[in-house]
Amino acid sequence: MKNEVLLTHDLAIGYQNRRLAKEAEKHGRKYPGKVVADNLSLDLAKGELVCLLGPNGSGKSTLMRTIAGVQKPLGGHVTLDGRSLERLSTKETARLLSLVLTDRVMTGNLSVYALVALGRYPYTGWMGKLSKDDETVVREAIAITGTRRFACRHISDLSDGERQKVMIARALAQDTPVILLDEPTAHLDLPNRIEVVRLLKQLARERGKSIVMSTHELDLALQAADRIWLMSPVQAEESGKNIEMISGMPEELILDGRLEKAFKRNGFEFDRESGSFRINQHHEGCIGLVGEGTLAYWTKRALERIGYKVVIDASLPCRIEVSEDRGNRWWRYYNGKSGEPFEIQDIGSVISCIKKNKTGSEIVA
Amino acid sequence: MGIKVDSQTSPEHSWPLLSPKNSLIALLFVVMAFFFMLDLALGSVKIPLGNVIDIVFGKGSENEAWEKIVTYIRIPKALTAVIAGAALSASGLQMQTLFRNPLAGPSVLGISAGASLGVAMVMLASGAAANAFAIRQLGLGGSWLIVVASTLGAAFVLLIVLGIAVRIKDNIVLLIVGIMVGNITISIISIWQYFSEPEQIQDYLIWTFGSLGGVLGSQLYVLAIVVGIGLMISFAASKSLNVMLLGENYARSLGMSTLYVRITVIAATSLLAGSVTGFCGPIGFIGIAVPHLTRSILNTSDHRFLMPSSCLVGAILMLVCDIIAQMPGSQTTLPINAVTALIGSPVVIWVIMKNRNLKSSFA
Repeated sequence: MKNEVLLTHDLAIGYQNRRLAKEAEKHGRKYPGKVVADNLSLDLAKGELVCLLGPNGSGKSTLMRTIAGVQKPLGGHVTLDGRSLERLSTKETARLLSLVLTDRVMTGNLSVYALVALGRYPYTGWMGKLSKDDETVVREAIAITGTRRFACRHISDLSDGERQKVMIARALAQDTPVILLDEPTAHLDLPNRIEVVRLLKQLARERGKSIVMSTHELDLALQAADRIWLMSPVQAEESGKNIEMISGMPEELILDGRLEKAFKRNGFEFDRESGSFRINQHHEGCIGLVGEGTLAYWTKRALERIGYKVVIDASLPCRIEVSEDRGNRWWRYYNGKSGEPFEIQDIGSVISCIKKNKTGSEIVA
Repeated sequence: MGIKVDSQTSPEHSWPLLSPKNSLIALLFVVMAFFFMLDLALGSVKIPLGNVIDIVFGKGSENEAWEKIVTYIRIPKALTAVIAGAALSASGLQMQTLFRNPLAGPSVLGISAGASLGVAMVMLASGAAANAFAIRQLGLGGSWLIVVASTLGAAFVLLIVLGIAVRIKDNIVLLIVGIMVGNITISIISIWQYFSEPEQIQDYLIWTFGSLGGVLGSQLYVLAIVVGIGLMISFAASKSLNVMLLGENYARSLGMSTLYVRITVIAATSLLAGSVTGFCGPIGFIGIAVPHLTRSILNTSDHRFLMPSSCLVGAILMLVCDIIAQMPGSQTTLPINAVTALIGSPVVIWVIMKNRNLKSSFA
């Protein structure tokens, strides 16, 4: 394929270990250490945003560190901009790949502007003096990330969301084609999370940056990512591979059921329709729902929350009909015992009425 | 959704300055020059400032005694104060950034103790007590020997501390280890003292009080050259030290070799703290207090500015301590080590109170 900035070829990640290396020699095993995952052949194109998903301990950080060249791979190699990572010096790597880590930078007396300017380190001379061009890059990085407002403030005075954007600005000032971010949305509230992800998408689209971010947030990843790399634990056979890497477009993964399968294996129910996990389990019974639009959707959500399985079926004896007419909302609740429905005008009463009646049809498989 | 680039529309001057103005450093230099002159003028014999200036600029003075006092005693002592203050402050600044610990400093992490051990070993080998007089008796060759021994002693301790730092990433643990290594060093010295003659112990004790007055003639050149080299290495490390503020992981991702920086900082601090301790005795608190003081004066964490300003502030503080130690108008002098602690400790406490949190003041 064309314009791949980052390629991994048959990469095995893990930790080198002297004892295991000796054993590997004896038993003819392939890798000299504890393997976290192997056979990783991944690619990252220019302008692509990839979300790296996986439960805690699945090796997301190990993969990130290996790609960044901080940790040595157990086997295979990483190619950055057409060149093997092993052959690149740290200085050269610094011009191709920048990092946003979870490490908290708490240095007092360090202004946002000065911090972002540190991103120019690989480009400046021995005294680190910024040229006019360097300064332009720094200012642009600050402007793009929307951190202009607090450029004068000290890094220790910022909120978590602001600090994260500043760290992204620093990576941007490093001016690398690839940016790796380790859980950039952790510890952020929803608006900040959305802002950060939106910013990353924008950088990928408009600046052609290739971005890999690890995250725990599935819904955010499914919405934003061009591709998903999912590290999914499988039952460990021997001491070998116990992580399976699933990669593809989010929609592709949902439609062909691979995502569902990966989560099901780990005991989670994934709803293919909404692209999210099912938190509620159905135990109260089945209830029919007649109606459409937002009102029907949220009624369904409320019913599911209190433990009903909702089916779109007008023939069930136990059902709810919803309708909306010029701002007036109506719920008709048939409890399946008396023929006459309860007519209710607000959703709170609907739910308490159903809870009181405790009715529902048998769940048909 | 377009990218808003407001850097073009907003006026240039609204961007913050990356570093404080050079004029601040010039001002510090003027203040240092003032205290230098004051240090020359004050002492057991009070010499008018005008005459001091005349003597310094080679115009001489009608009072021969004054000229002798200033030229042969006070100028070397004041120069030693400037060199020692600058060297200790620069080494403290680097160590605080390298260890990311506000309490790091030559005296805390056992560097001074290591240098003391080096000095003690030289004295033991040459059969004399480790004191300034003995150093003087050894002459120029001896003074080089002292510098080499104290620097190696300092480097030895720093290497042990740093070796542990590679394995244990916890700063507090590291600090405790540093103090312990320092204690071991001190105990080795006291065992040696135990088997020494009482006169030698007394001499050694006097050395530990610290003295700026013992460095004369050729020794001053040796000290100046070694500290000069140490300071040059420190200035060269400024850029890397700035990146170290982000933490080692970020520093590495920016293409910095952490090993290189560690070696540079060990070399520089060993030279600086080692040589000063060798000649002047273990002088405490300047190394810790001055970097904090300088950061709060300059309100920056840019080492390209912190390094020279710390040197200047250190020199100023050392001169002030020397002036106080001479107890102007009286015949007695106080040990310099006691005075630096008297002035240094309140400074550290003041900085903590002002920042509420010593950690936020840098790392």
